[in-house]
Amino acid sequence: MAEQKEEEQEPAKEETTLVERWLQEQQQWQKTAMNYLDSMAKSDEFLVHLGNAMRGSLLAGKPYPTESQDTAAAEAADDRIDEVLFALHKIEGQIHDLKFSIDELRAERASAPAKPAGKKSRNKLKPLKPKGNE
Amino acid sequence: MKELPDQQREFEALLELSRRGRAKLERLHEVLNTPGHFGKGATPAEVVYEENKLRLLRLLDDDGQPRDGPPVLFIPAPVSRYFILDLMPGRSFAGHVAAAGHDVYIADFGTPTSEDRFNDLSYYIDGLIRRCVRKVAALSGQRSINLVGYCLGGTLSLLYAARYPDSVRRLVLLTTMVDGDVQGGIAWTAHRMGLEGESYDSPRLVPAIEVKSWFEMLSPGSNSLIGRVTDLWNRLDDSPERLSAVRTMATWVDDVVPAPGRLLAELYRQFGPGRNSLMRGTAEVGGRVVNLSCVAMPVMAVSAEKDTIAPPEGVDAISAVVPQAQVVRLAGGHVGIVAGRAATALWQQTVEFLAGEGKKG
Repeated sequence: MAEQKEEEQEPAKEETTLVERWLQEQQQWQKTAMNYLDSMAKSDEFLVHLGNAMRGSLLAGKPYPTESQDTAAAEAADDRIDEVLFALHKIEGQIHDLKFSIDELRAERASAPAKPAGKKSRNKLKPLKPKGNE
Repeated sequence: MKELPDQQREFEALLELSRRGRAKLERLHEVLNTPGHFGKGATPAEVVYEENKLRLLRLLDDDGQPRDGPPVLFIPAPVSRYFILDLMPGRSFAGHVAAAGHDVYIADFGTPTSEDRFNDLSYYIDGLIRRCVRKVAALSGQRSINLVGYCLGGTLSLLYAARYPDSVRRLVLLTTMVDGDVQGGIAWTAHRMGLEGESYDSPRLVPAIEVKSWFEMLSPGSNSLIGRVTDLWNRLDDSPERLSAVRTMATWVDDVVPAPGRLLAELYRQFGPGRNSLMRGTAEVGGRVVNLSCVAMPVMAVSAEKDTIAPPEGVDAISAVVPQAQVVRLAGGHVGIVAGRAATALWQQTVEFLAGEGKKG
């Protein structure tokens, strides 16, 4: 019976004309296009990724770099503000260096052998507590 | 089988073409909608130090705890994104070294903005890297740590090791150009495309698209829109898993960052074609001459046979200035040896070298 059914179905497949298959394919294309439109409407990120793909890139998370983005950034640059900010970053680094030096001194003193009783240390810094993750 | 008339056969072929095109677009739709892994490291990590745009990441184990093995600090190139060293699960150099028991850190230099155009070599070496090393030393309780520098990050690591040798236990340099007179590679391309014109005194933030163009010049055709779109179209026959991996790598390749003009001017002035200060012993950082004979710790320098960015001869030249350096040449390209499918060769060699098992130089 099953074989008989398959035989009956086979000619049905062949009966699908080229025009019918072409129409089915057109319907599939419409479905694909609707999926794209749906994703574009739902997600801005998808739009960015699609834009990147149209430039031949699968870059994710941000738009493909272009000259116009860079030009806008360059035009916005102000030498005086930037020099001040750069100097501030350097000062920030120097402060971190000082902090590291203090921590290293504390750690060294904490690990140094204890001095004989009666001699008071002038060091007022507290010993470094063991650091885990910061 | 009965023979189709020509017209019908053409129509069938057209239908098949239409089906294949649609299948590719459906695959692309699926990939673009898949929340993949990209733009960040693959291994769980915590930020242990921050300064300006820099973040120092410490890799964690599966229980969210740092490992207690010997510390290793990875230094990537500050002109590209750090996550090539920790690309994706199963394809992570840093993750592999961590899995071998090391306490692994990665310096993420971030994306420079306008004020960072004034950053020079000293800002990186005496500043950011020095403080990263101090932080790692403090957290691990070690006086000296292992350094792994990649590409320009290797140049910075080498100069750092010469300036502060006591703080470096072992040094690994990956595709790090030492002889700037060896023709080819990114330095020569940038030179031909006008890097010589970068001003040290009035630097600009060199646009990402310009930095990208230098790398694209190394593989002609990669900068053409038609070439790129055709390449992507052809790739859309791959499986979604393969495309996901391609997407992660593409995100690293295309997510270039702008470069500090002062740093590039200084790199060109010192190490560019015809200058070659590392080989001549005249390199300077912050106005002080760097003495490479101070690099007395064990060093492993790795070059890649098909490296178009840092030609292997220019990398291997380290043996002329750091005689004890163990020089290793691997099959593959600049990125492939670090994050390609055959990268485990480098990862394992690095783990062995860090454990003191490498060949003596």
